[in-house]
Amino acid sequence: MRNYSSFLKPLLVIFLAMFGALSYAQVSADAGKTLFRNYCASCHSKDMKKKMTGPALGGAEERWGDYAPEDLYAWIRNSQALIASGHPRANELWNEWGTVMTAFPNLTDDEIGSILSYINCMDDGSCVPKKDDPNTTVGAVEAKGTPKWLYGLLLALLAGLALVLARVISNLNVISEKKINPNAVVDRKSILDILTSKGIIGFVLFAFVLLGGYTTVNNAVSLGRQQGYAPEQPIKFSHETHAGLNKIDCQYCHDGARRSKHSVIPATNTCMNCHKAINYGSEYGSAEITKIYVSAGFDPAAGKYIENYDDMSEADIEKLYKEWIRKSNAENDEKLAAASAETLNDIADDQWEEIVKSLTNDEKESVKGPIEWVRIHNLPDHVYFNHAQHVTVGKVECQTCHGQVEEMEVVQQMAPLSMGWCINCHRQTDVKFKDNAYYSAYEDYHKELKSGDRSNVKVADIGGLECQKCHY
Amino acid sequence: MKEKDQGVWIGEMDLTNDPGFIEISEKEFASMPEALGNTEAVEQMEGNRRDFLKMLGFGLGAATIAAGCDIPVKRAIPYVVKPDAIVPGVATYYATSFVNGGDFASILVKTREGRPIKIEGNDLVGYGGTSARAQASVLNLYDTARFKKPMMNDGSVWTDSSWDAVDKKVMNALSASSSIRLVSSSVYSPMKQKAIDAFIAKYPSTKHVQYDTVSYAALLDANEEDFGQRAMPAYHFDKADLVVSFDADFLETWGDGNKATVDFVKKRKIEKVKGAKMNRLYQVESHMSLTGSNADNRILVKPSEQGAAIVTLYNYVTGSNLVASSLNADAKKALQVVANELKAAAGHSIVLCGTNNKAEQSLVNAINAHLGNIGSTVDFAHANLTNQGSDADVDQLVSDMNSGSVDTVIFMDANPVYDFTANGKMAAAVGKVKNKFSIAYANDETTNICDAVAPVNHFLESWGDANPNKGFYSLIQPTISRLFETRQAEETLLTWAGVSYGDSIMDYLKSNWQNTVFGMQSSFGNFERFWEKSLHDGIAMVSTSGEAPSYAGNPNAAASNVTKTKVGDAVELKIYETGHMGNGQYANNPWLMEMPDPITRTSWGNYLAVPVDFDGVSTMVAMNDLKDGDLVTLTVNGNEYTVPVIQQFGQAPGTVALALGYGKAVSGLCGTNVGVDMNENVRSDANGYRTYSSSDVTVSSKIGKEKDFSCVQYHHTYGVQDTDKKTGEIINADEAALVTFSYGMGVQGYQGALTDRSVVYYSNLEDLASSVAHLDEKRAHAQHLNEQQIYGGHDKLYKQGHHWGMHVDLTSCTGCGACTVACMAENNVPVVGKKEVSRHHEMTWLRIDRYYYGKLENPNTVYQPMMCQHCDNAPCENVCPVNATNHSSEGLNQMTYNRCVGTRYCANNCPYKVRRFNWLDYTTADIFPGNQPGINGEEQAYGTDNLTRMVLNPDVTVRSRGVIEKCSFCVQRIQEGKLTAKKEMRALRDSDVKTACQTACSTGAITFGDMNNKNGNLSHKLENPLNFIVLEEVNVRPSVQYTMRVNNRNKEIDA
Repeated sequence: MRNYSSFLKPLLVIFLAMFGALSYAQVSADAGKTLFRNYCASCHSKDMKKKMTGPALGGAEERWGDYAPEDLYAWIRNSQALIASGHPRANELWNEWGTVMTAFPNLTDDEIGSILSYINCMDDGSCVPKKDDPNTTVGAVEAKGTPKWLYGLLLALLAGLALVLARVISNLNVISEKKINPNAVVDRKSILDILTSKGIIGFVLFAFVLLGGYTTVNNAVSLGRQQGYAPEQPIKFSHETHAGLNKIDCQYCHDGARRSKHSVIPATNTCMNCHKAINYGSEYGSAEITKIYVSAGFDPAAGKYIENYDDMSEADIEKLYKEWIRKSNAENDEKLAAASAETLNDIADDQWEEIVKSLTNDEKESVKGPIEWVRIHNLPDHVYFNHAQHVTVGKVECQTCHGQVEEMEVVQQMAPLSMGWCINCHRQTDVKFKDNAYYSAYEDYHKELKSGDRSNVKVADIGGLECQKCHY
Repeated sequence: MKEKDQGVWIGEMDLTNDPGFIEISEKEFASMPEALGNTEAVEQMEGNRRDFLKMLGFGLGAATIAAGCDIPVKRAIPYVVKPDAIVPGVATYYATSFVNGGDFASILVKTREGRPIKIEGNDLVGYGGTSARAQASVLNLYDTARFKKPMMNDGSVWTDSSWDAVDKKVMNALSASSSIRLVSSSVYSPMKQKAIDAFIAKYPSTKHVQYDTVSYAALLDANEEDFGQRAMPAYHFDKADLVVSFDADFLETWGDGNKATVDFVKKRKIEKVKGAKMNRLYQVESHMSLTGSNADNRILVKPSEQGAAIVTLYNYVTGSNLVASSLNADAKKALQVVANELKAAAGHSIVLCGTNNKAEQSLVNAINAHLGNIGSTVDFAHANLTNQGSDADVDQLVSDMNSGSVDTVIFMDANPVYDFTANGKMAAAVGKVKNKFSIAYANDETTNICDAVAPVNHFLESWGDANPNKGFYSLIQPTISRLFETRQAEETLLTWAGVSYGDSIMDYLKSNWQNTVFGMQSSFGNFERFWEKSLHDGIAMVSTSGEAPSYAGNPNAAASNVTKTKVGDAVELKIYETGHMGNGQYANNPWLMEMPDPITRTSWGNYLAVPVDFDGVSTMVAMNDLKDGDLVTLTVNGNEYTVPVIQQFGQAPGTVALALGYGKAVSGLCGTNVGVDMNENVRSDANGYRTYSSSDVTVSSKIGKEKDFSCVQYHHTYGVQDTDKKTGEIINADEAALVTFSYGMGVQGYQGALTDRSVVYYSNLEDLASSVAHLDEKRAHAQHLNEQQIYGGHDKLYKQGHHWGMHVDLTSCTGCGACTVACMAENNVPVVGKKEVSRHHEMTWLRIDRYYYGKLENPNTVYQPMMCQHCDNAPCENVCPVNATNHSSEGLNQMTYNRCVGTRYCANNCPYKVRRFNWLDYTTADIFPGNQPGINGEEQAYGTDNLTRMVLNPDVTVRSRGVIEKCSFCVQRIQEGKLTAKKEMRALRDSDVKTACQTACSTGAITFGDMNNKNGNLSHKLENPLNFIVLEEVNVRPSVQYTMRVNNRNKEIDA
């Protein structure tokens, strides 16, 4: 007992220390992230590597390394003041970029520190969300519990102990036999004998078949499931920007969720409600927003829909929108304002090529018409699911099934969408029983609730586990 | 005549305890195909080792590939600009009108994501239901056979063309013509009439010829002569205590069958024993029509005796003494009774005549006038305008065409070469016209010999209106954009007339309404308001009145012109129209083609109904010893036909009957070459009126057996009785099999309660009290037996929440079959084709069992809609090895297709035989063509094309091969209704949940609801003392209750 505790204590300390450090770094970078979004992101690229209105911020601290850290802080608070003071690095930047950076006199040192640490960790990739790893969230949850290897270690220790004990018992047996009859020939099995015995081989085979079968069945069951599926979409639409940063309500765009079985992918005209005005993106400039205009037939230069867009030739469309891309980039991107026509043409060509690629496919030849999004949440066949039932009646948050979409740059499927997952939720979720007159039909439950014999009514209690609630 | 003491029977095989039938009825699934002696099918089904290995190898390979594949990318395609009215996933309803020739109905169309998928009745007209034809019309929208663009016919080959080319060709021809004919079905659309008028104004040499596929000309002409109005009056059956009908199938095909049914049944509903009242219907006919089967007494006459029967009744009623040709003694005696009753019911009775003989119609007018029915039950102020055809006009057209004086003929929604052959001369006459054009929906016999076709929209793609009755206007609005390059008939006519109708034909319709209907009403002062309200409601009522016209006919003259009785033993043929086929207009609708005829219960073809006689000892003998499914040679007017036979109880001796509408040479997938065409035997009588019967007929004896006998009468039967060979006791055939199976080791016996099963209860109105007492006794006994069990039951489980149940009123059910079609449409029930039907594989979730009772040679009929009874003690659930069928807390017997492995134990254990197995891939859900049945010899299996699949209900699973399915009580509607109530945070109402069969039923025979809702309609209906539960004694505790069938048969006539 004493041995174990002495062994575990340092382990626990190390573990806690690691975890603590990790969470501290996370907090600081998290604060920086919010600040960056609020103050910096409109001019500086989020990946810290691309130049936008302002320079790429990756490695800023190094570049300012020759000067006192206070200089960088002062630069961030009020760049014009530093330039005026004749700071060499400040003037170097001013000559290179020639743009006035907004002053942020209210930023505290801590806040600037957070922003810088966020910049650094984004730059070196240490806090970039892993887009391809579906288990980011799951992993994070596990890290808080006991690490798996500790179980392994315990198992090995116990197995070793069992072996030693077995050996000791065997030795003691031999000794006692010998004590009774010193001449007795005691048949002692070697470890090899034991391991190759029928019982052990049988057990191993049995375990193998059992585990193999279990794995096969589990994998077969999950065939077709796509938890973590995060396909590339025709438009690099960022839920993080729209739902997170700009706090647009989910149901503003997904307006079917409250009244229909489908949550509904918004029609292009829903996008146009805002993007008539916002025609140049903070992240991708004209590259993505132009796709909406091409789909809907909106002429952003003229600020109105094109009449007879259906009859317009693809060549004319190309000409119109390339012109727009050149114009908007020249207007919105200070760096490109003075760029040569050739550079702008290249940008327009590249972006148009991408637009055509995104808006057409094997079945859709024209860039006109609906944007064909890639469907992420695909229910298994033969299931009826109704959003309205869950959103309007059940008052379930979107995030319960879809995860923190407002933090997803690229949306991925959070839930497995398996029947077990549905059923579990139906077992655990309370029906919004008291405020809805519909449930007055369940008289017994109301009585029990009143008398206190029952504290809640789960979905399962009103038939939420029955086949024909979802399959018909 | 003999009366069967054993209650109901389903047919000759049942009545005579046919061993073959009893064997079949013992099994849920007939051991096909041996039972049919179909050796070809046996050979087809045999496999061998090599095939097995091939399939095994393929299966393994396919599974490996399937498992290794990436998940396919699925696309989600939103709108560019979303219409406000559409929320994907939520149905949108539009009010419009179903119009096809003389068939009219105000309807609501359910659309999902812009696709019309279901027809419902528009209850603003006073009742909600529709006919089977209206229900099925949505499928025609997605008919692969319809014209997809204008076409030209170069001799024998049809080639795609364009509107420009066709318009140019037609207009050139029209300009150069000096004599034009426009042939159409009856026009009762003010907008269409206006377009026709514009066309005639442009081409004044045009004559407009109208005809009805089954002629009403004699009735119209007689009314014009007798009452000064060439119209069919509105008959108020809800005011008539006595109806006498001479061969008028008014509950189905004659006039507005749907409305008539609603009004007729209103007078027959019985909710309490004491003081129960009912109207009475006498049907004078030779062949059992749907109306006849619902009649209280049928008076059997040969077709040629109708004239004599009418004169006889006239004499009895008025006391006149006009000369009548000979009439059988039974009929004569019965008509005397009828006449006395009529005199007592003067002013609140109706006499109808369905024969196309002007003299007979005139005499019936005289009887109604004598009884004072004109103006009370026979109402010209709301006259029916849907049939306006003239036989004389068509004959004139044929002679004009034959004489070569017609340059150009245009057929608009008309197919006279098939359905109005003018004694078989139509095709040749049309061939003599220089320019022949057709405005048609799909290719047919007439269009096929035309030079060019201007394809029309489906009515669900069109704007339009209808004026089916005086004072009643109904609008047609599109529910989907036109699917193909088509144009509605009005657009085509106006284009050819060179008249501009604005941007859309809607403007033309709207301006016409502004100038006409708007002025007739006084509720709205502002036209836009009136228009919006009318469009929303689908209908507009304007006041109409007028003095009841007085009778100005001459009965004496008429009496000498009625049909003269053919004396002798010659067989007479009655040619009739069925509710599902019409005269071929509906032949290309697979739902209607597969829908069994309510009386004969045959599908996929017309069967010659032959009369059966009782030999006085033990067997029934049909004409020429024919049995069901025998092939005979039928010779009519010298034309020979090979037709299958069906034995028909209640068919007048010495007569046979065969339906119109089959045997089409040019049609779509399922209409072509099914059955035989009788139209060429519809001949003109001396006055030029089409006669739907023939006396130049011979029927041969059996010459063979039909290959695929597609009659469902003996399929899925239960409660069939047999005689125990040892004891001579009456036993249940299907139960006997079960008991022998269970205790096969020498123990044989039958449980007392099981031998006399309660399937159908019926009563005469006079005996109602004793019948109900008898019913109570039987039910008490059954309930006593059911209490002798050790299980507690499930009552507590269903005490709260919902407990779904259904009530079916057998007295209100006329057997029309609208519910069965509605069920197919709502639940994606597949069409399986003739061969599969012959193998007992029809998939209908809701069938209408037809039973006869009473007199063997002239029985009464009960129709019993039979669907899953959702037993609370369900025998099917206990035997499923994979728990694919189980019970919900709301009392639903749930069927889960994903779990089903197809053992079919449940179907075997179902006492009501309502479970259906997908023997083949009827819905074409999988990728193996070999699994798919051909319904009518088509190259590509029916339903594999994307067009036909557009009709599928997206809320209901399309079942694949190898699973069982059955009625779900429209669970998708239940869930939807519950959700509506939840969203609105209120208790569920009756109106939230209605099953498809319930909404389709115009008479309200079916009521669905929550049995726990004590204030609901259902609870009220369940209190009826006439209620019974089918097979109550077997303790399966069904959720469906039936009300006993009550007739008002006049026993005086039988005596």
